[in-house]
Amino acid sequence: MGQPTTSDLAVETKADSRAAAIRVTLAGGILGFENHRSWLLIANPDELPFQWLRADDDPRLAFLVVPPALVNPDYRPDVPTEDVAFLDLRGEQDALVLTIVTLRDTKHATANLKGPILVNRRTLIGKQVVPLNAAHYSVQHPLPVVA
Amino acid sequence: MLILSRNVGQSIVVDGRIVVRIMRLEGDTVKLGIEAPPEVPVHRQEIYDEIRGSNREAIAQGNTGVPRLLPKLRPVSATKAGETETRG
Repeated sequence: MGQPTTSDLAVETKADSRAAAIRVTLAGGILGFENHRSWLLIANPDELPFQWLRADDDPRLAFLVVPPALVNPDYRPDVPTEDVAFLDLRGEQDALVLTIVTLRDTKHATANLKGPILVNRRTLIGKQVVPLNAAHYSVQHPLPVVA
Repeated sequence: MLILSRNVGQSIVVDGRIVVRIMRLEGDTVKLGIEAPPEVPVHRQEIYDEIRGSNREAIAQGNTGVPRLLPKLRPVSATKAGETETRG
């Protein structure tokens, strides 16, 4: 697995020379985008804690993601044991949890807490999972942004 | 698609371990009882539709700036030098 260089990082965002990217494989893809399995998780230092999840084969397909704990500190997705086994998550520290952000305008954004993306930090294999308690969470959870 | 007729109180078995029972009828609504092992996710179709729809809506549309999270929710590592972090 080659480490992508910053020249690969052509997201519409300012491609920062200090950006770091890791390649992750999302098995089953992202719901609605199942054809894309290989993604780049791109972190621009100035944009943290936000990161970009960009399709490896289509620079125009990118999602803004953020750890859900920053959106809702009480977020406790009940991940099906089947997914835990599939992703080979052996402990909480294995799981990188991200949620997709929808930018509605500059001062209004929401996060999808119903379909978090879990990535195994060791294997870099991930999946958009539907937690067993998904019904308790919103696909449009308002993000606490500076107005 | 397999189509089966069932009366109230009758069930079907999927994969030898998932039982779907017709509990009762209320007008146009059918109440289903589902017994499945805990590792088998059972969700209404709408949840998948909702997530798929939300994903489509979330595709970044060029030159969008990243929002700023309220300071108290930003991790310390994301706070730039010289910026005061207010906690409260």
